Amino acid sequence: MTKFHPAPEQLSEFAQGALASVESLMISAHCDMCARCQQVVAQQTVLQAEHALMDTQDDPATKTHDFQDDSKLDSMLESITQLPRATPSKTSRSGSRKIIELDGRVFTIPRTLRKYVPFMGNWSSLVGKLWQAPVDVGVSGVANFIYIGQGGSIPEHTHRGTEYTLVINGEFSDGLNHYRKGDFIKMNESDIHAPYSDDISGCLIFSILDQPLHFTAGIARLLNPFSHLFFRY
Amino acid sequence: MLVGIPLEQSNSVIKPKDCASEMSEYIVAVAEERCKRSFARVFSYFAPRLRSYALKQMGNEALAMELVQDTMSNVWQKAHLFNSEKGSPSTWIFTIARNIRFDMLRKLQNRKEDVCSDDLWPVLCEQTADANETSLDEQITLEQIGFMFESLPVKQKAVIEAIYIDGKSQQEVADELSIPLGTVKSRTRLALQRLKGMLNDHD
Repeated sequence: MTKFHPAPEQLSEFAQGALASVESLMISAHCDMCARCQQVVAQQTVLQAEHALMDTQDDPATKTHDFQDDSKLDSMLESITQLPRATPSKTSRSGSRKIIELDGRVFTIPRTLRKYVPFMGNWSSLVGKLWQAPVDVGVSGVANFIYIGQGGSIPEHTHRGTEYTLVINGEFSDGLNHYRKGDFIKMNESDIHAPYSDDISGCLIFSILDQPLHFTAGIARLLNPFSHLFFRY
Repeated sequence: MLVGIPLEQSNSVIKPKDCASEMSEYIVAVAEERCKRSFARVFSYFAPRLRSYALKQMGNEALAMELVQDTMSNVWQKAHLFNSEKGSPSTWIFTIARNIRFDMLRKLQNRKEDVCSDDLWPVLCEQTADANETSLDEQITLEQIGFMFESLPVKQKAVIEAIYIDGKSQQEVADELSIPLGTVKSRTRLALQRLKGMLNDHD
């Protein structure tokens, strides 16, 4: 079961539409896999709606209720009712794909991320049992699908910016915690971890990173000058 | 003293949840009969509220009015997407406004981002979108897939069977059949292309 969720304030701000694109994207994808957070967002949306559309009378900031406003709204009403009914159209979603493959394994991708599957590059093999495929999400920072095969690991590293990670399939541990499908992980400068997977079917994660990784231990420190390899454009 | 003030003005003291069922009926009337009177009721209740929400969010009268106009236009044009079982009118209208605001702010910041509100909160998606997405899975029976599969060349069939039915990795298949990994990969690719071609013909 999913154990790691966005903070309640994050969910509330997500429902308000107040978060940046990257964070919103990752929370939305988490909610696709997490009934609990889906419900929290739904409740928050009801509350936010009530708050946003409540009584307008007592609010001095917007109490400029004059006849000019009324006439603007009247003409707006008039022009809207001239509009035709919307013709049902296929949404941009038509270009989306549900499934990605790696070496004969098939993974189902959460709804929010399906749109980006066509913008996924080829898988490349990194050290050990690690595979990475870049995804052009069109946001600042870099997004990747990363697959850790059974027994595979990523050298211990810290983060120079913020790294959002979502477990799509399987399980992994990082010396701090054990993560399962659906888990949402936000890491920054103060977090050091070394992910590895013992899962028999490995672990597929989706991660967005806004700065290169910084390797902290052993021989992997030598990778630091090359950490852009983990951070491809 | 109150003479001359339109009745609708009293709307502003009624809370959204106290008139939810009334507003639901108006929206349904808009969806079913394009009823302008019903829309006018919804508009006179929500437009001023949206305007004050929009002013706080956008901090600019022109942008605020644009947000109100886009939101209420969607209510008029896509009233058929409202489902009172899923939520109240005020929640639905708020989510439309929130989505438009999210996209407006991104446009204002001149971000070339590809994240749009519909992806995050599919409020105004036609119900058919999902049906289209799954249609391929549903319309093609296992039997038909089996038939397509049978028509693959023997060597491709063996590879596809080992990978997709037995769940082996490409390397395992290569070892088992004593053929190079590259051959397994190309057979898989050719077989999938062929199956894809047959599925497209099927449409």
